[in-house]
Amino acid sequence: MTARIIAANLKVKLRSFSREKSTMFFAIAFPVILVLVFGAIFTKPEHMNFDLPVQDLDQSAASAQLVKSLAVDGVFRTILVPSDANPVLYARVHKLNLLLVIPHDFEEIQKSRIKKRDRDASIALTYVYDPSSTSVTTKLQFLNAIVAATNQKMSGTAPFITLTEQSILNKKYRFIEFFVPGIIAMAVMTSSLSGALNMNAELRQKGILRKLATTPITRIDWLLSNILYQLVLAIISTTSILLVSYVVFAVRLQINFWLPAYIVLAVFVFVGFGMMLTPFAKEAESAAAAANAFLFPMMFLSGTFFPVEMMPGFLQKFARVLPLYYVNEGLRASMIFNDNMAAARNAAITGGIAAAVFAAGALITRWDSVA
Amino acid sequence: MTDSPNDAIVVEKLTKRYGDLHAVNDVSFTVKKGEVFAFVGPNGAGKTTTVEIIDTIRTPTSGRVRVLGMDVAKRKRDIVPRIGVLPQGFASFDRITVSESIRYYSSLFGCKHTDVDALMDLTNLKHKRDVQFKKLSGGLKERLGIAIALVNDPELVFLDEPTTGLDPHARRAVWDVLLGLKSKGKTVFLTTHYMEEAELLADTVTIISNGKIVAIGSPDELIERNANYMCLTLKSADENVLQAIRNLKFEPVKDIHHNIKVRVEHTDDVQAILAAIKNAGIALPGVDVRKPNLEEVFLSLTGDQLREGAPSHGAAQ
Repeated sequence: MTARIIAANLKVKLRSFSREKSTMFFAIAFPVILVLVFGAIFTKPEHMNFDLPVQDLDQSAASAQLVKSLAVDGVFRTILVPSDANPVLYARVHKLNLLLVIPHDFEEIQKSRIKKRDRDASIALTYVYDPSSTSVTTKLQFLNAIVAATNQKMSGTAPFITLTEQSILNKKYRFIEFFVPGIIAMAVMTSSLSGALNMNAELRQKGILRKLATTPITRIDWLLSNILYQLVLAIISTTSILLVSYVVFAVRLQINFWLPAYIVLAVFVFVGFGMMLTPFAKEAESAAAAANAFLFPMMFLSGTFFPVEMMPGFLQKFARVLPLYYVNEGLRASMIFNDNMAAARNAAITGGIAAAVFAAGALITRWDSVA
Repeated sequence: MTDSPNDAIVVEKLTKRYGDLHAVNDVSFTVKKGEVFAFVGPNGAGKTTTVEIIDTIRTPTSGRVRVLGMDVAKRKRDIVPRIGVLPQGFASFDRITVSESIRYYSSLFGCKHTDVDALMDLTNLKHKRDVQFKKLSGGLKERLGIAIALVNDPELVFLDEPTTGLDPHARRAVWDVLLGLKSKGKTVFLTTHYMEEAELLADTVTIISNGKIVAIGSPDELIERNANYMCLTLKSADENVLQAIRNLKFEPVKDIHHNIKVRVEHTDDVQAILAAIKNAGIALPGVDVRKPNLEEVFLSLTGDQLREGAPSHGAAQ
C-alpha cells in the first residue's frame, strides 16, 4: 500500500468527478431534489386541507350551520353545489371524488331531536364518492371524525373515553425528519455501488485497467483509493442533503458520532457489492443494468421512503435481509430517536455485512480479471 | 540457459492456452538491448497475448520469460518500474488533460522529476497540454499513450499496435516518435500488423502466425532468406501480353491498376518475357523489376492475409 499512489488516484478521480456534470448531478443534485420534492409534499400533514363540495337541499339555518361546522377546523374548504343538480352526475362532470348531500328535512329532524327530545330521530347525510380515488379514504376519515364530534356535542354529555398522547420521543418528529436519514442512506448506497461498478466496468471496457496493471499500483491501492473517493462523494452528498433540509425545512435532527460512522460503513458495504457485481458486468451498459437491478428493490423495500411497517408481512421479513434496512434503521435511531443502543445494534449488523461483502469484493477483484 | 548481458528479453518455449485454444504455442525468441524489435502477424496471431505475458499483465500456461534478466512470473514488482507499456487501444481518463494524465502516471511510478514538457515535446503534444483525453484524435491519444509509457524513463518500451486505425498522417507522426525513441537507445518491443511499419522501423522482425513463430531476422535477412524471386510489373493490361507470358509457362496476374505482374526467379526470365512481348509486336509503356517487400514475404511464408481489407500488392502467385 502506497499513500502516494492512493493520493494520486483520489486526485484524478475527484478531478474527473468535478468535470463530469452528470455524475455531479446524481451525487449531489438528485438526492437534494428528492428531499425538496418529498419534503414539500409531506412536511406539514397537520395543515393538510381538501375541498369538500356540499349540496344543501334543506337551505335552512341549521343546514347552513352544519356546512359552516364542517370547515371549522380547517381540514375542509366547503364549496356549495347547486341544490337542483343531480349529485352523481355533478360529481362525474366536475370530476369530484367526494360530494356531501344534506337532505331536505335536515332542520326539521334536528328540531325533533333537540327540542322534542326524540331520541330515535336521526338523519343520514349521503356522500357521493369515487372509490377509485386514493385521497378519498383520507377525506372520509376526516369527515367521519367531524360527524362523530358533532354527534357527541349534540348529546350534551362529556365523552366517556378520551385519548391523551404521551410520546416516547423527547420531541415530535415530522415526516421530513423521517425522510432525511433515508435519503442520506440511499444517496450513499447509489453513489457507492454504481460508482464502484460503473467505474470498474467502464475502465475495463476502455482498457484503462489494463494500462494500470502495468504500473506499480496494487490491488489494495486501487481498492483503498476507490473507497476514499466514494467516501468523499458520500460526505459531499450528505452535507448537501443536510444543508437543504436545515435551511428549507428547518429539520431537527441529532448529528453525532453515528452519522459519520454509518457513512463509512455504508460506503464499505456498497462499494463491496459493486466490486462483487463487477465480474457480471462486462460492459458499462450491463453495469448500469446490474446496478439498477440491485438498487431499486433495496431503495423501495428497506424503508427509505416510508416505514417498513406499512408493507405486507412477507415484505417486512424480506426487508430485514437488505443491508440498506439496517443503515436506515441505524441512522433514524441516532438522528431522530437519539437511541444509542439501537444505533449501535444496527451499526454492528451493518459492520458485519460490510466486512463480509468488502472482503468478498476485494478477493473477486483481480487485475487480470479487470484487465 | 544464461541470459547475455545484452539481452533485454528472453522468451523460452512460451505457451498460453485458453481451453483448447493455443493462443501462443511454444514460442522462443530473444530481444537485444537497444534494438527495435517488431512482432508482426495478423489479427489473432497471438501478438498481444505474448506481449501481455512479457509485460506482466498475463501469466503463461508454460514456458519462461525473462525481462532485463528477471523472471516475469517471480519479479513483477522489480520489472514494472523498469518498463513502459502502451497497451493495445490505449485509453486514459476522459476528463483528464494531457499534462494531468502524464503527471498522474508519473506519480504512480513515484517519479518526482519527470519532465512533462520534454515528454510532450518528444510526442509533439505540447499544443494539446490542456485538452481533455476524450477530445483528442486517435493519433494524439496514441502519442499520449507513448508519452505515458515513458514517464518512468524505462529501459524497455512495449508498444502494442500503436498505429492501428490511424490515418497515414497520424501513423507517420507516431513513427517519428518511435524513431526518436530509437535514437535515444531505448529497447522497443513493437507489435504491429503493418509490415511496412516493421520494415521501416525495426532492427529485428519476428513473424507470428496462429500462435507460432514463422520467421525471425532483420527485414533484409527475411527478404533475402525467404524471397528468392523477383516481381516483374508490366504497365499493360493487354490480353496478348498475358498470352505471350503464359506461352513461356509463367503465371501472370492482373492487378486492380491494370498492370500485369509476374513472379520470376532469374534475370534471364525477365529478358525472355520482354523479348517475347517485343517479338509479338506489342509496345510496353513501362516495366518495373524489384525484390518483394516484407508483406509479400509474409504472404509467401504463411499464405495468410495480414489484416482485413489490406490492399493486395498483386504479388506473383
